[in-house]
Amino acid sequence: MVSWSYIKRWLYTTNHKDVGLLYLFSSFYFAVIGATLALLMRTQLSVPNNNFLTAVFYNQAVTMHGLIMIFWFLSPFAIGFMNYFVPLQIGAKDLAFPRLNALSFWLFFTGGLMELISFFAPGGTTAAGWTNYQPLAALQAGSGPTLDYLGLVLLAASVTLGSVNILATILWMRAPGVTVSKIPMFTWFALFTIVAMLFSFPTLIAAFALASSDRLLGTVFFTNPSVQPSILWDNLFWFFGHPEVYIVLLPAFGVIANVIPVFTGRPLAAKNAILIATALIVLPLSFGVWMHHMFLTGIPVSLQGVFSISTILISVPFDVITLAFVESLFRGRLVFKAPLLYSLAAIVLFIIGGIEGVFLSSPVLDRVFRGSYFVVSHFHYVMVGAAIFGLEAGLFYWLPRMTGHMYSESLAKIQFVVSFVGFNVLYFPMSFLMDMPRRIFTYQNIGSWATLNGLASVGAFIFAGSFLLLAYNVLNTWFRGPPAQPNPWGSDDLEWPTPSSGMTPAVGSAAVASDAGWIGQLSTAPGGGPPIHSAASAPGEGAHGHHLSSRPIWLSVGAMIFLVGASFYPGGLAVGTMVVGALIAFYSLYGWARDDLAGRFAIPLEQLGERWPFNAVPKMKLGMWVFLSSEIVLFGSFIGAYIFIRSAVISWPAAGTVHDIPLGTINTLILVTSGLTMALAVQAIRQGDQRRLLMWLGTTFVLGSTFMGIKLSEWVNLSSAGFVIGSANPTTSLAASAYYFLVGLHGAHVVAGLIVMVYLMKKTASGMYTKDEHEAVENFGLYWAFIDIVWCFLFPLFYLL
Amino acid sequence: MITGPSSTRLVLSALVAQPQTAATFDSLFNWYLFFGIGAAVVVIGLMIAFSIKYRSRGASGPVKHKAESWKIALVTVVISLSILTAAEYQTFASFGNIEIPDPPGAVTIHVLAFQWGWNFTYPNGKFDLTNLTVPAGATVILNITSRDVFHSFGIPSLAVKEDAIPGRVNQLWFQAPQAGFYKDAIRCFELCGLGHATMIGNLVVVNQTTWDTMYNETG
Repeated sequence: MVSWSYIKRWLYTTNHKDVGLLYLFSSFYFAVIGATLALLMRTQLSVPNNNFLTAVFYNQAVTMHGLIMIFWFLSPFAIGFMNYFVPLQIGAKDLAFPRLNALSFWLFFTGGLMELISFFAPGGTTAAGWTNYQPLAALQAGSGPTLDYLGLVLLAASVTLGSVNILATILWMRAPGVTVSKIPMFTWFALFTIVAMLFSFPTLIAAFALASSDRLLGTVFFTNPSVQPSILWDNLFWFFGHPEVYIVLLPAFGVIANVIPVFTGRPLAAKNAILIATALIVLPLSFGVWMHHMFLTGIPVSLQGVFSISTILISVPFDVITLAFVESLFRGRLVFKAPLLYSLAAIVLFIIGGIEGVFLSSPVLDRVFRGSYFVVSHFHYVMVGAAIFGLEAGLFYWLPRMTGHMYSESLAKIQFVVSFVGFNVLYFPMSFLMDMPRRIFTYQNIGSWATLNGLASVGAFIFAGSFLLLAYNVLNTWFRGPPAQPNPWGSDDLEWPTPSSGMTPAVGSAAVASDAGWIGQLSTAPGGGPPIHSAASAPGEGAHGHHLSSRPIWLSVGAMIFLVGASFYPGGLAVGTMVVGALIAFYSLYGWARDDLAGRFAIPLEQLGERWPFNAVPKMKLGMWVFLSSEIVLFGSFIGAYIFIRSAVISWPAAGTVHDIPLGTINTLILVTSGLTMALAVQAIRQGDQRRLLMWLGTTFVLGSTFMGIKLSEWVNLSSAGFVIGSANPTTSLAASAYYFLVGLHGAHVVAGLIVMVYLMKKTASGMYTKDEHEAVENFGLYWAFIDIVWCFLFPLFYLL
Repeated sequence: MITGPSSTRLVLSALVAQPQTAATFDSLFNWYLFFGIGAAVVVIGLMIAFSIKYRSRGASGPVKHKAESWKIALVTVVISLSILTAAEYQTFASFGNIEIPDPPGAVTIHVLAFQWGWNFTYPNGKFDLTNLTVPAGATVILNITSRDVFHSFGIPSLAVKEDAIPGRVNQLWFQAPQAGFYKDAIRCFELCGLGHATMIGNLVVVNQTTWDTMYNETG
C-alpha cells in the first residue's frame, strides 16, 4: 500500500538514485505530452488542405512540442542517468550537494508544470515556435507566453544549479583509485555536457529574462524596432541554441562509448582522441558556430564564409568520434543485445543527420534549406535519432541495475526494428521536402508534398507505437521480470558490482568485481574491511539513509506559485498569488538556513579521494567558482545585449545628461571599499579572530546598504525627472529599460548578498566560524568580489559612455 | 530515388534554360551529395561489415586491455579535412549566388513583407500584392524588408532566399530566363503567425518590352 511515508520519501528525498529516478519518470511523462503534440501535427499534415487542427493550435503545438521535448524530455532523460550513475561510476556516496540536487529536480518539474499551465491560459501559450523569434513572440499578448518564459527561467535555474552540482561531484568526489584516466566514459561525457550547459544556459536565461521583462515590467528590448530586436534575439538565442544541440547529443554518446566496449569485448578505439575531440567540440567550437543560423539575416558575405568554415570544422571532431566508434567494432566479439543494437542505430542515424548538417554549413545551399523541412529532417536525425536511440541503449543497459530485473530481450529487439523503421519512414522523406516551409499548418496539393507528408505521418505512428512496446517492456521488467545477475553484462565499471537500487533491494550480494584490474584491489581496501562501494551506495540504509529534506520541493513550489502569479499580473488574484508564493519560498529558504544552523541536515564527510587537479580546493569553493563562471556568462550576455542595443541605436542620451556622474562615482567608491572590508573580514577569520570578522562583516553590510540606499535615491530622482521605462520618448524608454534592468539585476545581487551577510553575522556571533572552519565566509568573499567587479563594468557603460 | 535537387523544388524545374542561381545551387548540391553519400556508404558499410563478421553468440564480457591507438583518429582527421576542404572550396566558388552584382540594366524591386503577404514595389512606384513581375533575362535585385515581424522571402525554384526583418533591408538577386507565370513560386520560410502557411506569391516573368511599358516607364 502507498503510505504517506512512502510518498514523503519521494517528495523529500535528496538521494541521488531517487532523484535520478524522479528525473527519468518525469522526463517520460513530458515525452508523452510532447509526442502527443507531434502526432496531432502529423495527423494534420497527413493530407493536403486538412482541417484537423486550427492554425492557432498548430502554432502552439509546434512551440510546445519543441520546448517540452528538448528541455523536459531529452535533457532530463540524460540528467536522470547522470544523477543515478555518475556517483556510482566514480565511487561517490552521493552528489556533492544533495539538497541542491533535489532543488534542481523540483525547479525543473515545477518549470514543466508552468509550461503545461500555459496551454490553458486565456489566449493559449506561445505560438512563435520554440525559437521564439522576435518581435513575433513579443507581440503575442496574454499570460500564456509569460508562463512559458518564466517556466523556462525556472528550468534554466535548475540546470545551472544541477551543473554546479554534477561538476563538483566529478571533479571532487572520486573514490580512491578513480584517477582521471579511470573515469568511465559516461561520466566523461556527463562532464562535457555539464560544461556546455554551464556556459550556454546563462544566455538562455538572459534572453528569456529580457523577454519576460518586456512582458511584465514594460521594458522595450524586443518591441522597439530601432533595436533590431530580430537580430538581438537571434544572437542571444543561437549562442545558447547551438551548444544546446550538443548538450542533448553528448550524453547519448557517453552511453554509446560506455556500452560498446562491454558488448564488443575489446577496448574503445582511440579513447583519448574521443575525449580530446569532445572537449574541443564543447569548448570552444560549439560557441563559435551560432551565426550559421543567421546566414540569411543580412550579415556580410565574408562573415557567412567565416561561420561556414567554423561550422564545417566542427564536423571533424565528430568524425573522429564516429570513426573511433566504428573501429571499436573491428576484431571485436560483438554480442548483439539491445544496448549494442541501439548504440549502433544511434551512430547510423547520427551519420545521416550529421551529413545533412554539413550541407547546412554552406550559406549558398542554405538559400534553399533555411526554414524548410530539410532542416526538420536534419535536427530530428541528430536530436531525436542519435540522442533517443543512444539513451535507449542506456536504458536497456542499466535497467537491470535500476530494477534488479532483466528485461525481455526479444521484445527489445522487436521494438528496435519497429522503432528504426518508423523513425526513417518519418524523417527521411522530409529531407526531400526542401521546398516546403516548416511550421506551416497546412499545404496545397503540390508536386510530391502529399506523398512525402503522408509517408512521414505513417512513420510517425509506427515510431510512436514502438514506445508503447518500450513502456510495456520497462514496466513488465520492473514488476515481473526475472531477477538479473548483479553484473549481467560483465562490465568493469564501478556501478555494477554494488547491490542494486532501493526499489528492489534483493539483488545479489556485493562486489562481483572482475579479478583483473583495479576494482578488485579497491574492494578490499582499506585493511580488509567490507568493500567500500557496497557500504557507500546502498540506499535507504546505512548512516545517511535518504537524508530527507522538505525545503527543496517547497522552495520550488513557492517559486512556481510566485511566477504563476506574476504571469497574470495585473489580473485580479495575481498579487495575492505572488505574496503566497513568495512567503512559501522565503519560509523554505529560512528553514534551509535554520537546518544548517542547527546542523539538522548532515551528510557524512567524504572519504579523501581523487581530486586532481583540485586537491587543494574545498568542495564549496569549487562549487562557488563554477557558479560564478556561469554568472559571468549571464552578465556577459546582458552586457553584450546592451552593447548590441547601443550600437544599433544612433541616438542615445549623452553621458552626464541623465545620470549624476559625481554621485555615481562616490557610490562606486563605496562599493569598492566594501570589497576591501570584505577581504579584511576573510583575513580576520583566517587568523581565527571572530571579533574582527564580525566587525568587518558589519562594516561591509553598512557599506553595501549605503550603496543600495544611494541607488534607491538615484532611482527616485531619475523617475521624477522623467527617466522612466514608460516614457513617450522611445530613446528615453529604451535607455531606461536597459538601465533599470541591468542595474536592477546587479542591485538584486547586492540585496541577496546583504541577506546572506545577516546569516553570516548571526553564525559569527554564535561563534560558529573558526580559523579552520569558515568556508562560507571564504565563498561569500568570492561572491562579493564578483559583485564589485560587475559594477566596475556597469558603471562606465551606463554613466560614462 | 535521388534524381537531382531540381526535381524536388517547385515549378521552374520544367524550364529548358536553368536560371543561373538554380544551376549553381544544383551543381553545389550535387558535390555535397557526392561527398555525403560517399562518406555515409563507406562508414555505414564498414559498420555493417564488422557487425556481420565479428558477430558472436556468446555472452558479453570484460574488456581485454590493449594499448590505445591514435591511428584511426589521425587518419580520420586527414580524410575528413580533405573532404570538407573540397566541399568548402565549392561553396566559396559558388558565392556568386549570394554576392549582389551591379551590372548595367539591373532591375531593383522593393519587397515589403507583412502579416500575411508581400508588397512588391516597382521602379515606377507601382505596386502589387500577389505577383512579383520581373523582366526575363535581366538581373533582378530585390530589397527585402518587413513591416511587422520576422519573415523569410524565398523562391525555392530559383534557389534564392533572404530574411525579411523589420528595420533592415536585405538583398538578393536572380535572373529568370524564361517568360511565364509561375504559380505559388514565392513563400515565407519563417513562422510569422497565423497566416504563415498562406503567405504565398506568384512569380511572373515577362519579356523586356512588356516590363518596360508596365513597370519601368517614368511619369
